[in-house]
Amino acid sequence: MARVLYIEDEKEIGSWVTEALTEKGHDVTWLRSGENLESYLSNIDMAILDIMLPGLDGFSIGKRIKKEIKDLPILMLSARSAVEDKIEGLSFADDYLTKPFHPEELAARVEVLLRRFQKSEDTIEIGHLSIQVKTMMIMNKKTGEEIKLTGKQYHLFHFFIRHLNQILTKEQLYEGVWGEPYIDGDKTLMVHIRYLREKMEQDPAKPRIIETIRGIGYRVKV
Amino acid sequence: MRKFFQSLLAKYMLLIVLAISIVQIGYLFIAIFIAGVADSFEKNDAREEYDFEWIEEKWHEETNQLDAITDKQINDYFQKWGEQFPEAAMFWVDGNGILKEQFHVDKKLPEQWTAAYTAKFIKDRYDGNPFTVIAFAGGSEANGLVVFEMPRENFSTPVEKVYDKFGSILFVGMIVIILLFIFISFLFFRGIRKRLLYLQEAMEIRDVDGLPIKIDVKKKDEIGHLEQTFNQMVDELRDSKEREQEEEELRRELIANLSHDLRTPLTKINAQTYKLTKQDLPATTQDALRTLASSVDNIDRLIENLMSYTLLMASKYKLEYKEVDIARFTRECIASWYPVFEKAGFHVHVDIDVGMDHTWHVDPNWLTRIYDNLLQNVLRHASSGKYVEIKIESVANYDAVVISDHGHGLKVDSDQKGAGIGLSIVDKMVKGMELDWTMDTNEQGTTVKIINDRLYSGKS
Repeated sequence: MARVLYIEDEKEIGSWVTEALTEKGHDVTWLRSGENLESYLSNIDMAILDIMLPGLDGFSIGKRIKKEIKDLPILMLSARSAVEDKIEGLSFADDYLTKPFHPEELAARVEVLLRRFQKSEDTIEIGHLSIQVKTMMIMNKKTGEEIKLTGKQYHLFHFFIRHLNQILTKEQLYEGVWGEPYIDGDKTLMVHIRYLREKMEQDPAKPRIIETIRGIGYRVKV
Repeated sequence: MRKFFQSLLAKYMLLIVLAISIVQIGYLFIAIFIAGVADSFEKNDAREEYDFEWIEEKWHEETNQLDAITDKQINDYFQKWGEQFPEAAMFWVDGNGILKEQFHVDKKLPEQWTAAYTAKFIKDRYDGNPFTVIAFAGGSEANGLVVFEMPRENFSTPVEKVYDKFGSILFVGMIVIILLFIFISFLFFRGIRKRLLYLQEAMEIRDVDGLPIKIDVKKKDEIGHLEQTFNQMVDELRDSKEREQEEEELRRELIANLSHDLRTPLTKINAQTYKLTKQDLPATTQDALRTLASSVDNIDRLIENLMSYTLLMASKYKLEYKEVDIARFTRECIASWYPVFEKAGFHVHVDIDVGMDHTWHVDPNWLTRIYDNLLQNVLRHASSGKYVEIKIESVANYDAVVISDHGHGLKVDSDQKGAGIGLSIVDKMVKGMELDWTMDTNEQGTTVKIINDRLYSGKS
């Protein structure tokens, strides 16, 4: 459960999103404008902002929030779909979703953001593994043993957890974990993935935790 | 008036007037010089006696002074003059008209001079050639005539004398004056040329916004005015560009607002539909709601395409080229589409490992949009085939991204509404980035190739 601040001036949309997110177990505070925003900031895990609002627009509100709380995830939810708007939005916000949208997509993106910013206290269940997101403690449910990862393996798996359900290319993984540009043909990443699989998978020859998406990359899916 | 004196015309006029004045002053100077030289010749020159008046006066004076008129004395007298004037001839006709002494006379003279011959001789020689002076020996007619004659060629005018002596200096002087004039004219025109060339160069320099930059106006002459006019033009251009940008911004804003205003009610429809689906409704109503939701999606995509198409047609769709590693870029794009295809039960075949770095010079946003439209079409119109393949072909002349499916082809698909505008956008964007594309569609499937022809575009 996360505390979500949602600013939306349209009544129907506001009540719908509030309802949909509440159903998913979040605690939603819905405001019709950015007024008196400050009093809510100390008590939230993420913010969802519309752009066209009475008074201060969503861009300005988002920038202010980000300035105050750097690690607060912000999702822009707007009917403005121009590239320029998306670029401006993503200059400070962490995600940008255009209207009309599906509530499942919104909920999924909210989950991803919460996980990325480690705001979620949830334990993730992936196959036979149970992972505590905050502590990154990995338990094998079948054996009841904790799986301990070494430095790079830990960082690599952590990167997967932060981008749960996303397909990550070799370049994205390497650059995200090692912080260096990926050189074509480098086997380091594959070696580390093999080690990870040996530690985690029930059958490393048929991996179920870290999927290989042929021709694209890898994915850890809930 | 002040303006006139600052002008190039005034400077050029001044130059011409100066040049003419120098020539005139030169002539004046030469005249004075010649007069002065001639004067000094009369006074100082060793051959000052080569002067008609002087010779005439001197001949009369000395001849009158002869006292004893004898052959010898006359002969001595002739010898003395002969030394001074080697070109001269002299003779004496005595009181009886008899030709007595001759000195350097080369033509035949009568021995006996009659009054008539004497008169004729005087008449012939008056102002004639040779120059002749006739005097009475010892000042008395009784002693007869003593005649001095010298060819006039031996006398030169003062001008001739000056030219003889200083001709070369004067010639050099004239040449120097002409050269000086040419040199000053050269400096004058070189100055103009230099400034014109500078102006041309300055006009060709472009600022970061692609507009020319202003020129520093240093002089207030005609070129200065040209520079000022140019600066004015630059200002007007900049104003016009700013206006154009403002209009562009307004247009973009208008389209964005329009898009927003259309999407908000769509979202509301979505909201209500969603709420309805949560209720316990008969299957037919549920179906109707699903169709409603899917129509909302279609309208949304159509609005998006329409907006993009409008912007593209008006050339207002922002295009920013970047160097893009096509394999990596395509892989990342497919990664975001993969779950969608996976959910729809597609088999996704990806073959984009070209082995080395293949950089395309494109706008990543445009390329994403092209991929989105093409993959969207596959999802919507080729779902029967449940297969999509994305690969990169790389041969010597070109790289190509190939997207193919096993659908029934776009032409025979009954539900292809909306594909048209999506493909029009693909066409505009592909060509807008100087790429090429082909589409091959039949009942076995559709294959789209986006080609980066290295030979054609000169890009790698």
